[in-house]
Amino acid sequence: MESVVDTADSSTINVPPVDQVESETHESISREDRNTVGDVFVEDPRMTCRDVNVFYGEKQAIKAVTLDIGKREVISMIGPSGCGKSTFLRCINRMNDTIDGCRVTGEIKLDGSDIYDPELDVVSLRSCIGMVFQKPNPFPKSIYDNVSYGPRIHGIATGKEELDEIVETSLYKAGLWSEVKDRLDQPGTGLSGGQQQRLCIARAIAVNPEIILMDEPCSALDPIATAKIEELIDELREQYTIAIVTHSMQQAARVSQRTAYFHLGDLIEVGETDQVFTNPKHPLTEDYITGRFG
Amino acid sequence: MNMMTDGHTVQRYNFEMNHLHSLVLRIAELVRNQLINAALSLEKEDLELAKEVIAKDAEVNDLDIQASDEIVNLIAKRQPVARDLREVLTVGSIVTDLERVGDEARKIAKLTLHFYTDKQKAPNVQIVHDLMRMVDVVDDMLEKSIQAFDGPDMDLAVEVIKTDLELEDDFKAALRNLSTFIMEDSSSVGHVVETVLGLRAMERMGGHAKNIAGYVLFLVKGVDVRHESLEVVAEEVMS
Repeated sequence: MESVVDTADSSTINVPPVDQVESETHESISREDRNTVGDVFVEDPRMTCRDVNVFYGEKQAIKAVTLDIGKREVISMIGPSGCGKSTFLRCINRMNDTIDGCRVTGEIKLDGSDIYDPELDVVSLRSCIGMVFQKPNPFPKSIYDNVSYGPRIHGIATGKEELDEIVETSLYKAGLWSEVKDRLDQPGTGLSGGQQQRLCIARAIAVNPEIILMDEPCSALDPIATAKIEELIDELREQYTIAIVTHSMQQAARVSQRTAYFHLGDLIEVGETDQVFTNPKHPLTEDYITGRFG
Repeated sequence: MNMMTDGHTVQRYNFEMNHLHSLVLRIAELVRNQLINAALSLEKEDLELAKEVIAKDAEVNDLDIQASDEIVNLIAKRQPVARDLREVLTVGSIVTDLERVGDEARKIAKLTLHFYTDKQKAPNVQIVHDLMRMVDVVDDMLEKSIQAFDGPDMDLAVEVIKTDLELEDDFKAALRNLSTFIMEDSSSVGHVVETVLGLRAMERMGGHAKNIAGYVLFLVKGVDVRHESLEVVAEEVMS
């Protein structure tokens, strides 16, 4: 079944009434708890999400989430397993379209344009919004082909020279160039885990994305490789907007400027990362980040 | 169950936080005893008690170091955040202030030795009258500031901050009294100078109690009010 995406006028979007949502799931959370604490809006947003609901069949995974993602910021999404943070991330580049029975309502705009517009080419959308996954997943091809594949199919580069330049620049930006420049023809799968993940980041940035989504990009990596990715995230922030889902609270605290805490599909709190980790406003956020979440 | 330190999924974390919290209460009890005994030694002209107080300051210093070690270990092992982080930082600051209260108490005990080792050169009791009066106020401030931390109780913390203003007035009044005294009897200038240092020690102890009260507001509210006016402090508490 294809995902059903309601993309009509935002004023007519079919958002289920809050009462109905409450009766469907999670009676344990009171109505008061469900109002997001903190400022969900930013002055100059790259991406705006308004009343986003996601349903997997009957089950509601995301409940009326409203959130802005600013230009050149790293926003981290944290929360316990099943809280909806990855689901939300996947809405941002329409990855949920590929999941049977998944229905997304609400409005998500990239630079003012609705990304759920039926006229929109999803493939080109995903070149604007790159994604890096938990496990490094290089193509079973050479390092060169891994990076050049995207620009080639999107028609970003035509000649070999242009392609060479994109490959070098992307690998350089991903902090991998000096390590692989002499073996570009070797398989990407032969690299170490951390290198593979940086190759995946190089692959994502090769198509000139505006936003990079990262879904637990370091959870399969050792601390050194993790540190390299974190350093890379800090450098990439100068050019890209980055949304990262992570289970490591310390990582969220280290790499992001804003942090969003999700709990059972609700966006509980959003704030400056410094504030969230020193003085969170919502008791659920506090309990989770201090290790009191039972 | 202490809401500030308990409730972690990892029980050992609770234990470590509680241990640190208890250590503060233990150090506070010790330095309050030091203050009371130092004052008593001055009042009773008890040289032995004064020496005891001076010797016991090493115990306060040891506990200060123990607290620092526990804080370093806790940060390294648990990477505390939010209220845990504030609790750990607060404990570190409180212990530093308490250790300094211990140092000030030692100064009072030394005053006893200076004044009464040679009974022939003992000062007029009027000279230390104001100082003795300040002891109760300062001890009350210390007790309440630690209760405010243990609670945590912000109202009590604000009360301590208010009392410190009164203590400052007492300090200034005592200095005026000593000025008058020295005008009447210039031969007591040595005693007066030493007493001024004693008064200053009392005033500093009150300042440390006020600092502790300020840390409690940081602990609960996450705001630093140490350099704010009382009005601002009250506003923070009400918000």
